[in-house]
Amino acid sequence: MMKISKKELPSKIGAAFIVLILCATFIRLGFWQLDRAGEFQELQKPYIERPVINLSQVAIPGENLSDDSVNQIVRFSGKYLDQYIAPNQEDKYGVKSDWVVGLLEVDSGGAILVVRSTSNTEVLPGKVDITGRLFNRQFDDRAKKSSSQLSRIDPALLVTSYDQKLFDGFVLAQSESINGIELDIKRPELDPAKPSVPGYYWQHISYVVIWWLMALVVLFLPFYQVSRKRQGYERGN
Amino acid sequence: MNGVIKRYRFMAVAAGIMSLLLWFVELPVVYLLDNPDLEAKVKWIPFVHGYIYAFYVLAAIHFTARARFTIKRMILFILAGTLPIASFIAERRVMRQFPLS
Repeated sequence: MMKISKKELPSKIGAAFIVLILCATFIRLGFWQLDRAGEFQELQKPYIERPVINLSQVAIPGENLSDDSVNQIVRFSGKYLDQYIAPNQEDKYGVKSDWVVGLLEVDSGGAILVVRSTSNTEVLPGKVDITGRLFNRQFDDRAKKSSSQLSRIDPALLVTSYDQKLFDGFVLAQSESINGIELDIKRPELDPAKPSVPGYYWQHISYVVIWWLMALVVLFLPFYQVSRKRQGYERGN
Repeated sequence: MNGVIKRYRFMAVAAGIMSLLLWFVELPVVYLLDNPDLEAKVKWIPFVHGYIYAFYVLAAIHFTARARFTIKRMILFILAGTLPIASFIAERRVMRQFPLS
């Protein structure tokens, strides 16, 4: 058996530490890819609708939407502060049109963007009750921004224009009543948003195999080094 | 040793071809073109590349261990499978150093 001298000890401990860190990193990366493969499989399952709840139970003004609150059908009431056009929006059938988006001051505090209709709709004064699906804010511009037009449906575009804190994301209204009278207007339809996991299931699994194989390789290398040295030592003798 | 070299050469060529497809076909189609149909046609490339690379790593370790290469060379051989032409270069060098008997 090869003995380790006191002089070599710190470098051996350092090497062992690096091996352990690398090994742990590769194992963790393998688990990360395994999680992504699992998420990918989850996305293939049909979406299960959850019961309608109050907006204040799933979102707080000025804070990012949690993944869990996206797609939730919420209800809330308040009054409209303003209205904008969001051009070139695409519905679930692939039809592009200009959407009417209201900024609604919520009774419980804060303001939220509400997609109201695909046709020009007046902003009526009074108490508004909304039920609709909560979506994440849009990231890509579809048009130029102006005082009456939103380049994308994103409350960040309006942050400097209003005093209230804005809710993240937007609500696609499914029903809307003003002073208790239900509005019958043409509303755009969207499927529940699917979180995107790039790649494919078996691709992620192949990366799991590779990362864990790399962890094994890292564990194997010190033994290979010892075996090479021993063989060289035996040849020297 | 001949069998080990042949296995390494085969895997080096396969990993090289898959790397070329990944870098110059799949990645440009997915990230530069906005064409879902074409994307669907090339979706097999990344995961076939993934599995072939795993076998390439095993073949490279087997070959470099049998050839008593240093750890540094072993790691370079393993990494050669990740770049489009590196595995072809490694395969040519192996052929020069270890001509099949």
